[in-house]
Amino acid sequence: MHEHTAAMDRPTRLGREDLRGIRARLRSVVDSRRRPPAPGAVPARRDVLVCAGGACVSCHSLPVADQLEREIAAAGLSATTRVVRVGCMGLCDAGPLVMISPDGSYYARVTSAAVTRIVDEHLRENKPVTDFELSWEGPEGVRKTGRDVPFFARQVKVALRNCGVVDPGSIDEYVALDGYLALEKILFELEPQEVIDSVKRSGLRGRGGAGFPTGMKWGFVREAVGGEKYVVCNGDEGDPGAFMDRSILEGDPHSVIEGMMIAGFVAGARQGYVYVRAEYPLAIERLAAAIEAARAYGLLGESILGSPFSFDIEIRIGAGAFVCGEETALLASIEGRRGMPRPRPPFPARAGLWGKPTLINNVETWANVPPIILRGEAWYSGIGTARSKGTKVFALAGAIRNTGLVEVPMGISLRDIVEEIGGGIRSGRPFKAAQSGGPSGGCIPASAGDTPIDFESLQELGAIMGSGGLVVLDEGTCMVELSRFFLDFLVDESCGKCPPCRIGTQIMLNLLERITKGQAAIEDLDTLHTLAAHIQRSSLCGLGQTAPNAVLSTLRHFRAEYETHVVDKKCPARQCKQLLIYTIIPDLCEGCGVCLKACPSGAITGEIKHLHVISQDLCIHCGACLTACPTDAVLAE
Amino acid sequence: MSGTVTTETGGHAAPVSLVPSDEEIIERGRRVVDGYLVENRGGSERLIPLLHRVQEDIGYLPFPIQEYIAARLAISPIQVYSVVSFYHFFTTVPRGRFQLKVCMGTACFVQHAEGLLDTIKELTGLRVGEVTADRIFSLEQVRCIGACGLAPAMMVNDEVYGHLTPAEIRKLLRRLKSRAKQAAGEEAAHA
Repeated sequence: MHEHTAAMDRPTRLGREDLRGIRARLRSVVDSRRRPPAPGAVPARRDVLVCAGGACVSCHSLPVADQLEREIAAAGLSATTRVVRVGCMGLCDAGPLVMISPDGSYYARVTSAAVTRIVDEHLRENKPVTDFELSWEGPEGVRKTGRDVPFFARQVKVALRNCGVVDPGSIDEYVALDGYLALEKILFELEPQEVIDSVKRSGLRGRGGAGFPTGMKWGFVREAVGGEKYVVCNGDEGDPGAFMDRSILEGDPHSVIEGMMIAGFVAGARQGYVYVRAEYPLAIERLAAAIEAARAYGLLGESILGSPFSFDIEIRIGAGAFVCGEETALLASIEGRRGMPRPRPPFPARAGLWGKPTLINNVETWANVPPIILRGEAWYSGIGTARSKGTKVFALAGAIRNTGLVEVPMGISLRDIVEEIGGGIRSGRPFKAAQSGGPSGGCIPASAGDTPIDFESLQELGAIMGSGGLVVLDEGTCMVELSRFFLDFLVDESCGKCPPCRIGTQIMLNLLERITKGQAAIEDLDTLHTLAAHIQRSSLCGLGQTAPNAVLSTLRHFRAEYETHVVDKKCPARQCKQLLIYTIIPDLCEGCGVCLKACPSGAITGEIKHLHVISQDLCIHCGACLTACPTDAVLAE
Repeated sequence: MSGTVTTETGGHAAPVSLVPSDEEIIERGRRVVDGYLVENRGGSERLIPLLHRVQEDIGYLPFPIQEYIAARLAISPIQVYSVVSFYHFFTTVPRGRFQLKVCMGTACFVQHAEGLLDTIKELTGLRVGEVTADRIFSLEQVRCIGACGLAPAMMVNDEVYGHLTPAEIRKLLRRLKSRAKQAAGEEAAHA
């Protein structure tokens, strides 16, 4: 632990003077981590940032940090070089990531051997180790490194401003970069209504999926009558393929705390709850530590910074229910009940937690609040498109080369995200589509890749912004099977309260299963369509209302693929096992008999050392022979 | 249930004491409930955090414990069970020392998580939702664990393992198994 992170040792409550003191002391060091270095100069002191985001931790970045510390000490550099464990740097695929500040050099996939060379060559002799450096090779011998790599260069960081820059375990480092300054501003310089107007004019919209104007929601809660009021952070990031909220909570928990405090002051609440998924133990641990640190400084608790404002935050851990991302279900879960939604209105802004007015925003929304207060609504609304302002954090995953976390201005095209930032498709197969918004979202086909992305354009395409999961698909993914996967998920996660969702999604799933098995008729596609429209219209909550999106958007953009399944009984992506015909290629078969043993239906015959044959009448299309064959002699098409 | 089981795989069939009796588990669970309620006041809104605490400690939520919690929170047992049965995370059957939680999120699905699951099933002889007789491994399918950059991925208890291949799974399970035996040995020595 560093000298300035020992928040717990100082139980004294801090005043505004103390915060100013921390900023004066630490600002330049922490700030230099995000600025380009002075050209040519050898830095007098360095911070070695090691990514301690969830993904890097799981590829063993913490032992890398420990080893760096040992070798820096052994090299006698401890006085001028410090190792800092920071939050997610974004390029999860290249972990463990290490960044040398202020040089701006990134090292990817850092091994034990790489650590030794980084210490010897870069830290001691000031020569970057080019073999391990993160670099990008462009056409005509162009080579870019550090922040100039397209993955970083195209991003604009607002919600992620501190992720990968500060030590999430150090409240002082957060304070150093103007942390809790927005809180001071609203407590001592602004009227609550001015804050609401400012958030309204910034154009900030909820980042949890629906995109409701944040300032307007704040206004509703402020105006709501009722003694007690609550502020809630929705961190139940349940969309498969999404990890924005996890990364923010792990990498910059104080930005969420500060955002909630600002809203608490404005709305007249004194208690906040953060609802986090149980699947995110590291996020819970870091958030809990951040709350403790803020309490120790008197930033949470009674009369904060000497003002009349009192506020505290408690964490509530989810228990694995996708529907709890829906706000009324989430509130029921905080109250200790089954997470089942109820009809709205009344909206939580009027009757939420324990029937009291409750302000709910998503993690990313909260993280956007402090910079809007500090830098002004005009700065924020200068980023983005006409109706969608600011930036959006996306979790890039799937068939893409640079999987990870990115923050881009609204209005960027999908193609820029996939090809420039994402580095293109890993397999080299053509880019087919991107799935945005998880099970509630839809697929954006590659043909719409140049559309500027914002809340409205995605809706027009039949997808949704959702919380920001962007799973990139290549030609190896079958769209029917993908829809079936999402429906299967939703059937399992439907809370069962309203029949359209409980029964309707099950019938849709049955139909999709028939299609993937080649048992469907062409009329089934129309039935799917009709059913989808009914479920959208008549379901109680967002889960049911958006459940048909995956099917509708793929039916719209990839109808031919559905028809091939139904009419020709073929799966062009070769993913639907039941539609594949398995045969053995005579030239490759060595007659080892492994497939014969693996076949559960006795469809394979053949003598040892002789060609084996699959009987199409007996084959159940399970694919066991395909995985078992040591010589790749089984052909499936 | 007996306190001693014999492990069949791994070459030597040494008896390993891994499983405390049901009575011991329930007694321990009661103490966890009492301890939690000393630290945290409140009524039914404490139910979910309390269930988390108990399950974290004893691994599952047997019915006698659910009844005990209901009595202590002054709510009906069916209210407790309605919550336990609603959330995927809670379980009324024991889990293994190492809970293998295979991610079935979109990114992992696209990167063939199904194959990963098959490998584990084959190596452990488990089906999803089951626990090995020696209670070393239990197998679950979970919703996206947010490690999409590492797909296909799984969690072993709280730790994430990514970019998994069948060979790595084999190595990992072998490592975990010997760790479990070592720990059991130490615990036995301690007792």
